Amino acid sequence: MAELFDRLADRRAAASRWYTDSTLAGVALGSVAVLVGATLLQVTFGAFPLTLGEAWGAVFDPSILFSVEAWRAFLLGADIPEWFTQQQHIVWNIRLPRILVGVLVGANLAVSGAIFQIITRNELASPYILGVSDGAGLVVLVVLTAFSELLPLVPVLAAIGGGAAFLLVYIIAWKNGTSPVRLVLAGVIVSTIFGSVQRALFFFIDDLSTVMSAQAWLSGSLLNTDWGEVRIALPFTLLALVLAFVVTKELDVLALGEETADSLGMPVEKMRFAVAGIAVLSTAAAIAVAGLIGFVGLIVPHMVRNVVGGDSRRLLLGCLFLGPALLVGADVGARLALNPIQLPVGIITGLVGGPYFLYLMRKTENLGEI
Amino acid sequence: MMRGNEMSHERETSREASSDGTDAVASQTALDVDELVVGYPGADGPVIDGQTLAVPEGEVTALIGPNGSGKSTLLKALANRLDPDDGRVLLDDRRVDSFDSKELARKLGRLSQQNTAPDTISVEELVERGRYPHQGFFESQTDGDEEAVDEAIAMAGVEHLRDREVGTLSGGQTQLVWIAMVLAQDTDILLLDEPTTFLDPRHQLEVMRVVERLRDESDTTVVLVLHDISQAARYADNVVALKAGTIYANGPPEAVVTDDLLADVFDIDSEIIETKHGPVVVPLDPLVEHSRNETNESEMLQRGESSSNKQE
Repeated sequence: MAELFDRLADRRAAASRWYTDSTLAGVALGSVAVLVGATLLQVTFGAFPLTLGEAWGAVFDPSILFSVEAWRAFLLGADIPEWFTQQQHIVWNIRLPRILVGVLVGANLAVSGAIFQIITRNELASPYILGVSDGAGLVVLVVLTAFSELLPLVPVLAAIGGGAAFLLVYIIAWKNGTSPVRLVLAGVIVSTIFGSVQRALFFFIDDLSTVMSAQAWLSGSLLNTDWGEVRIALPFTLLALVLAFVVTKELDVLALGEETADSLGMPVEKMRFAVAGIAVLSTAAAIAVAGLIGFVGLIVPHMVRNVVGGDSRRLLLGCLFLGPALLVGADVGARLALNPIQLPVGIITGLVGGPYFLYLMRKTENLGEI
Repeated sequence: MMRGNEMSHERETSREASSDGTDAVASQTALDVDELVVGYPGADGPVIDGQTLAVPEGEVTALIGPNGSGKSTLLKALANRLDPDDGRVLLDDRRVDSFDSKELARKLGRLSQQNTAPDTISVEELVERGRYPHQGFFESQTDGDEEAVDEAIAMAGVEHLRDREVGTLSGGQTQLVWIAMVLAQDTDILLLDEPTTFLDPRHQLEVMRVVERLRDESDTTVVLVLHDISQAARYADNVVALKAGTIYANGPPEAVVTDDLLADVFDIDSEIIETKHGPVVVPLDPLVEHSRNETNESEMLQRGESSSNKQE
């Protein structure tokens, strides 16, 4: 009899595991479908229209896919081989890198958003909650107004500015240790001050086109991204994401709150700082190539958690798929909706994200607690 | 009514408890509190001021006392959650603050008063988190971990909740699940801070049954803070009464839970009814300050300096 119960329990546990795994697989497959669809649209349409067949022919062109020379050009910045046709050039040098950057940025923002939501134990936290965005924004404005000769270094400088703001937030929040609430409050303080200075700096820019490019950067845009951006973002993205998946067990324990994490033997302060550092690295990689794209890091972890649950490993895996899908999908709208005018993708994500939160607010009663 | 003047001095009672303990293991000490002074950083004055206590191994020890008497503080100090200003807490003859944090978490588990878990993880996942101190940084779950999780879930009696999301449970179910989590930690010593407060009678009983089974079926030492004095009297092998940061009495329940002690420690007039389930405390009236001064003048003089209410 007991054996029967055991077997029933095993069967049930297996069924429930299968269910959670299958919802995760559903998220992954759905995301890949969206990504493929968006890629199809992005590659096909534009100022130089291709037919579907031509576009896909170019994407899966074996002479490029298996060409060492081409990949050396893409990933290491060597010269583009001369044998590229105009079509190959447009697909592989203009349209595909933009999608790739979108994938990297979407994955970074979603994963770092999920981590920040766990650290702050707040479902409404975003990757920018600890002052990273305004730190980066301030640096960009300072470069545009005072040090225009540093313009080519803006991506890296912005990421460094974001990291510095994060450290400042931590210093402000520290008093015999930190707490999620203190960190968020310190983040608000730093963001408010940096944001004000940043907006003040706008008045010192005389050139309208500089103002425009600053605006585009602050809204977050994938305009004019190419393999250079891929080369900047890829190593940091890989490093940050690998580290994020290494610490999922620690994230799970941190999510139980400081008291419990401490009694389970975790050095909470060290771990929180290390994990936040990983998330800031990931955010910085995204900011460096795409500016400040809002809402992706906020809504993607939220959506994934609703579907696959709060287990960190599954959550991060889901984010890894859904983030790129959402961002690349939004970029289709940003690039093609008002053709020939291209909007910053951050505007589209905001337009999608706002109503999603309205829907959530109406649907759930205690929104906000993780 | 019996007068318990001989109980009023803590050292005597604690010696008494270890000498007439019924169990052979009673003489072994699981946790040794030695002249402990502990408080909170930033607060003025310590909460626990120079107290000594031996927690017997393999038994259930209940801490009772009014709000702010230092029960939770003492529990936190036992778990090395607070740095002592003076004195020490010993586990296996080693100071608790000399342990590596994970090493300590393998020997001593603590469940705090209020716990928060993400609503969207399953009960099983929450219990699995209890295995954290047994896992290395790059290690994932082993068969041993799974076994411990299964045992903990069975011991806490939450098998039927295993696949539920934590956010969908009632308060009583949640508490049992948290107990399962701390059981999965598989420690020799278990500290529970008010595990039955806010629970309905049925869930209180279920929680206390887990505590009983821990004592009877394993060698686990349990230290728990209880607000229900009858509950402490019924389930604990030893009762430690705290008042304003001092250990007022310590010993077997029948020696500690007396109406005199309740008057002194809790400032209540009460009647204790002996039943076959142990003594039941019926609180009658809160004692007014001056009437207590008359009845217990000498004792009040003794403890005059510690009568101010302190932070718990």
